Amino acid sequence: MSAESFHCVTCADEALPMRVESVAADGAAVCAGDIQVLTDLVGPVAEGDRLLVHAGVAIARLEA
Amino acid sequence: MRFVDEFRDAELGRALAAEILAGVEPGRRYKVMEVCGGHTHTIYRYGIDDLLPENVELVHGPGCPVCVIPMGRVDDGIALARRPEVIFTCFGDMMRVPGGDGCLLDARAGGADVRMVYSPLDALRLAREHPEREVVFFAIGFETTAPSTALTLLRARAEGVRNFSVFCNHVLIVPPLRALLRSPDLRLDGFIGPGHVATVVGARPFEFLPADHHKPVVIAGFEPLDLLQAVHMLLRQLAEGRCQVENQYTRVVPYDGNPQALRVLEQVFELRPHFEWRGLGFISHSGLRLRDEFADLDAEHRFEVPGVRVADPKACQCGEVLKGVIKPWECKVFGTACTPERPIGTCMVSSEGACAAYYNFGRLAREREVV
Amino acid sequence: MAGEREALELIERVRSRPPRFRDAQITMAHGAGGKATLNLIEGLLAPAFGLTELADAAAVGDVALTTDTFVVTPIRFPGGSIGELAVNGTVNDLAVGGARPAAITVALVLEEGLAADELRDEVDAIARAAEAAGVRVVAGDTKVVERGRCDAMYVCTTGLGHVDPRAALAPSALRPGDRLLISGPVGEHGVAIMLARGQFELAAPVESDTRSLWPAVDALLEAAGPSLRCLRDATRGGVASVLNELSRASAVGMLVREAAVPVRPQVAGACEILGIDPLYVANEGVLVAAVAAEGAEAGLRALQGVPGCEAAAEIGEVRAAPEGMVIVETGFGGRRVMDMLVGDPLPRIC
Repeated sequence: MSAESFHCVTCADEALPMRVESVAADGAAVCAGDIQVLTDLVGPVAEGDRLLVHAGVAIARLEA
Repeated sequence: MRFVDEFRDAELGRALAAEILAGVEPGRRYKVMEVCGGHTHTIYRYGIDDLLPENVELVHGPGCPVCVIPMGRVDDGIALARRPEVIFTCFGDMMRVPGGDGCLLDARAGGADVRMVYSPLDALRLAREHPEREVVFFAIGFETTAPSTALTLLRARAEGVRNFSVFCNHVLIVPPLRALLRSPDLRLDGFIGPGHVATVVGARPFEFLPADHHKPVVIAGFEPLDLLQAVHMLLRQLAEGRCQVENQYTRVVPYDGNPQALRVLEQVFELRPHFEWRGLGFISHSGLRLRDEFADLDAEHRFEVPGVRVADPKACQCGEVLKGVIKPWECKVFGTACTPERPIGTCMVSSEGACAAYYNFGRLAREREVV
Repeated sequence: MAGEREALELIERVRSRPPRFRDAQITMAHGAGGKATLNLIEGLLAPAFGLTELADAAAVGDVALTTDTFVVTPIRFPGGSIGELAVNGTVNDLAVGGARPAAITVALVLEEGLAADELRDEVDAIARAAEAAGVRVVAGDTKVVERGRCDAMYVCTTGLGHVDPRAALAPSALRPGDRLLISGPVGEHGVAIMLARGQFELAAPVESDTRSLWPAVDALLEAAGPSLRCLRDATRGGVASVLNELSRASAVGMLVREAAVPVRPQVAGACEILGIDPLYVANEGVLVAAVAAEGAEAGLRALQGVPGCEAAAEIGEVRAAPEGMVIVETGFGGRRVMDMLVGDPLPRIC
């Protein structure tokens, strides 16, 4: 177990599936209530879209 | 989270395990390497080893970006963190990696402003919120994480943020694999490919494994079923005499990767002529640095770092563990002088390091099927 | 595999050496409730006071005594506040020690500049929690420190209770075959604190589970008193830390069935985002009980009848081996070790 968290986002190469709750003015997705996710790498998103998110960035789209 | 639950199905897992058992050649030993901290984590967290026959051995390679950071670079980070004007930000595990004289957490206890972030965007936000301070982000990670740093730098540039910089230690996945395969003391039957790195770079970059080294590879997702499925696919390749790049993680990984991500990487980063990897030595064209246009956002340009190369402690065998040559418990200091509370090497610091994973999760005498 | 077995045995020998406190300075890890805390307590504090261990609560004749300090930040969070925590935390240490809580003292360290209304709210919270828990506040103390020297307030409570004759509890009392029960879903308090710190938001909010555990303990004592080996409240360090402590103290092994551990989906989701195993997250209203097999069913039914403990469950059992080790059987069928907490993933949690 690491000092600050149990597994480190980058070490685990972890990407979490997240649902777009709303889209901010600059195109960023707002997920899980308040998590801002950059969508530069997946193109424009809409509410309900599902994204694979790593370190604050959506790296792929997921099937609904 | 239907996406995730489906793939955690234990029944399917047992069925796959049975198929794997049925397909394994009696008396033959299989050595399969995975090169991703996330895969190490899944294997240990779900006890995947328990479900495989004894003659299938899963070996952990250099897939944990924290594990491959040499002590000298940690010292450089600590030097930056100790500057009174700096807010030093990094991912969780980096805080405990020992440098030549303590880790970032020790520096924090000694008064340095070191803060954990979940993404470089958090660090940029800190820079906006604290215009009177210098925010430095310790960037680590493979091609999965580098785009996040790149996008953050582009945003910093676009917004004209002046008090933000990146200490770049991003690395690429292919060069260490090539370096590994040149090593004579490593006998591998195949690879499990890193699913999220592949989301960015695609499956294509792994073609060199079958083409140049005759090793099959299966790109895998991160749920336990994904891994079992990938092992099954790999063993089937071996049984059928095939040698190719297969993609188990098709729901996410495109063959050509994410073109926009690759463009953004190209825009912001260039290859360092060489970069030192803990335990593996200097590997050419394996690390990224910021392009000249981004020099003002490059912590190494903005500040002086000692840049002193520190040799690993003599007792440390992280290099051999990272190459999959020895198992964690075969390291002479494993569990005795080197523990998660008092780590000597990076493999024990990172929660996804092979040693930490084995110590924390895998420290069990297992009875497994022998075929 | 001979090499591996030998390596594992050597590690166990190293781990079972008496803890020595060798750190040069105190770090946050020492406050996390995990290995560093254990080292501090067993390596420095207990030897200094001439004890073999420094328990949360101890009997002095018929009376049980306990003390606890609360440094949670922020002081208000979904589902509670520092005052409530301070009462329930001490009440619970008495309760899981097998003592009926009777009275508490309250010592406050206040930060210069603390708004009187905030203080009033906390004092009211303490009064309400004490009444709900059936204890009287009988004495106290107040100190003030300069601005910046403490975060709003720190609270220390000392509790006195009467040892209940219905059970003889001890951490070394566990035996192979005993069952492990849990009184409710895990991870609520820790996640509530993370939410209060603004790490992220959730659609369905999570609240701290702070509550007095005496009704649950009372029910267990009544239904299964003679079969009860030991009770623990799973605060900082979570269920994992408590099980490891018991396993070590009784020199037994444990097997926990991950699928049987109650966790609410919002908490599981939040833990996933934070990269934390819910079994390591602090709770403020959950107890773990080790019960001899013959009393387990009655004990579980009694627990489930206590308001707030409807989700109580049997989560595993005590084994002879591997000694001092807690093994988790994952939902997927494989096994892994669940060690004590290292480091401090959730600082200032209680």
